[in-house]
Amino acid sequence: MERDIILKEVGKILIPLIQLFGLYVIINGHLSPGGGFSGGTILGTSLIIMHLIYGKDFIMKIYSRKRLITSLSISLIFYTLIKGYSFLSYQLHLPHPSAGVTGRILSAGFILPLNIAVGFLVASVFYIIFTIFINSEV
Amino acid sequence: MTNYIPIINILILILFSFVMMLFKDKKKIKYISIGSNLVVFLLSIFLMVYSISREVITLSIGNPNNLLGIEFYIGKSESVVTLVFTFVMLMILWFSNFALEKEVPENRISFFYVLINILLASLLGVIYSNDLFNSYVFIEVSTLSACGIIILKDKKENIKATVKYLIMSTIGSGLVLMAIAYIYSITGHLNISLIHETIVGNYQYHENAVLIILGLFTIGLGIKSAVFPLHSWLPDAHSSAPTPASAALSALVIKVYVFMLMKVLFRMFNYEIVNSFIIMDIILLLGSMGMIFGSIMAIMQKELKRMVAYSSVAQMGYIVFGIGLGTVTGTAIAIYHIIGHAVTKSSLFLISGLFIEKTGSKKIEDLKGIGREMPLTLGLFTLGAFSMVGIPILPGFISKWYLSLTCIEVGRVPLILIILASSLLNVLYYFPIVINGYFGNDNLDGKVYNSKKVEFIRILPIVLLVLAMMIIGGISFNLIELFNI
Repeated sequence: MERDIILKEVGKILIPLIQLFGLYVIINGHLSPGGGFSGGTILGTSLIIMHLIYGKDFIMKIYSRKRLITSLSISLIFYTLIKGYSFLSYQLHLPHPSAGVTGRILSAGFILPLNIAVGFLVASVFYIIFTIFINSEV
Repeated sequence: MTNYIPIINILILILFSFVMMLFKDKKKIKYISIGSNLVVFLLSIFLMVYSISREVITLSIGNPNNLLGIEFYIGKSESVVTLVFTFVMLMILWFSNFALEKEVPENRISFFYVLINILLASLLGVIYSNDLFNSYVFIEVSTLSACGIIILKDKKENIKATVKYLIMSTIGSGLVLMAIAYIYSITGHLNISLIHETIVGNYQYHENAVLIILGLFTIGLGIKSAVFPLHSWLPDAHSSAPTPASAALSALVIKVYVFMLMKVLFRMFNYEIVNSFIIMDIILLLGSMGMIFGSIMAIMQKELKRMVAYSSVAQMGYIVFGIGLGTVTGTAIAIYHIIGHAVTKSSLFLISGLFIEKTGSKKIEDLKGIGREMPLTLGLFTLGAFSMVGIPILPGFISKWYLSLTCIEVGRVPLILIILASSLLNVLYYFPIVINGYFGNDNLDGKVYNSKKVEFIRILPIVLLVLAMMIIGGISFNLIELFNI
């Protein structure tokens, strides 16, 4: 009989819910309290819980170190491109997304994609910091 | 389009530093790093040519109204400083291409290139920004990336030096933030030009608050730029870091904070206001003390890199001295010394890295007779030392000469003695290396000519830096005309 069977079964139910909630906070960031950073920490926490319950080997199959670094840098690149465009667009009179209707998910211009980029960045960095402390390696 | 070069510079550097993280192969990372810095350097040349022909470029970011948006302000001095900084950084990257493997663990080399791009971007941000809080954010970014490039070597002394630097500069940026909060509560603006408009008319009603603001800015930015009594982190950090990193730190990083101090003193307030407070005398005092005590402490050092690092403290003294004189020419010379010292000190640090690599010793006494083994390298070192000491035509002499002239102009003739004493002290610690390197039968005994020769491709960046130093010395008159805050 395995020792952690309760944890593992509860984890199976809870972790998807936590991740769903994290995604909700990220995507609803421009409408309600929350946003990229808070949603990202929730997502990162779910990764940490997965690591603690199912062990290192299980999570390394899904989110290997390389994949984490890749998602981190791609979200940073994405953020820089969007933000750079929005910095330049005002004076160069480039097209600019409309603010939309208040309350819709697809509104508020660049804030939604920026929130998504920040969310994935924070989730990856959160988990990387955790692994640094646990493995004491960089 | 040339108007947008400042922000494009920063975006290119930041974007490509993140692109570098995607790659594992070190060769590709090096190409991306040098390529992005080369692009930024070329753009800076355009920027300088463009900005010399007109007065000022102001660039609103985010919102055309400068009450709401962020603003960049690029005058002539900013564009020249940008050009010199990007040039020095390009040369440092070229040098590190061949030297970094010998000092830094294999798995950390890519971090260096990522961090150095972010560092340069944040430094340019501090130079360009006309918005206090934006400058503060860039200052924080530059501090963290500077800590990163010090700790790369992963030795005990590096960790100690980095923690020291981190704590000291956190205190510094905390003081700067407090000063920004004070000025925001008085004026309601963060934009330097708007603060200037607001405060010029009614600073006399807030005399104590203005004094506190000036003090907080001076001490906060003074810690970060290692002005004399606040310099204690500098020798540890700059001597223990890997050679290209210490060149970047000493040549560029500590300069931008002084540059921001100048912007705060003379653009946010003006000469008239700051001269009516005691703060300018204190800045002058700190500068003079730095010039003397920095040199005295450099004389006492046994290790080459520590000596060069202490020499930075002394040279920061000159810059702060120029600010403390509180005149337009004083500021122009301070900016001139910033760029002169940037090229000189970076070449000196890179050369000392070569010496340490070839002789295998950090000590100054092991450099005896090095002039027979590495004649060209010591020759370049000699030129750099000449500039530090103040031999005519080289930038060190020009700044000392004009500083003395300005002292006479403002009627503070005794201060020339301090400049003179500091030059003589500089001779005491730079010339023994040169003399013991080239001359003396005991020193040259048993040394083989050119035996520790370095490949020319590795020396070429240093040669270019020294050439740039001579050019800056040669066109000094035109340059000083350009500089104003």
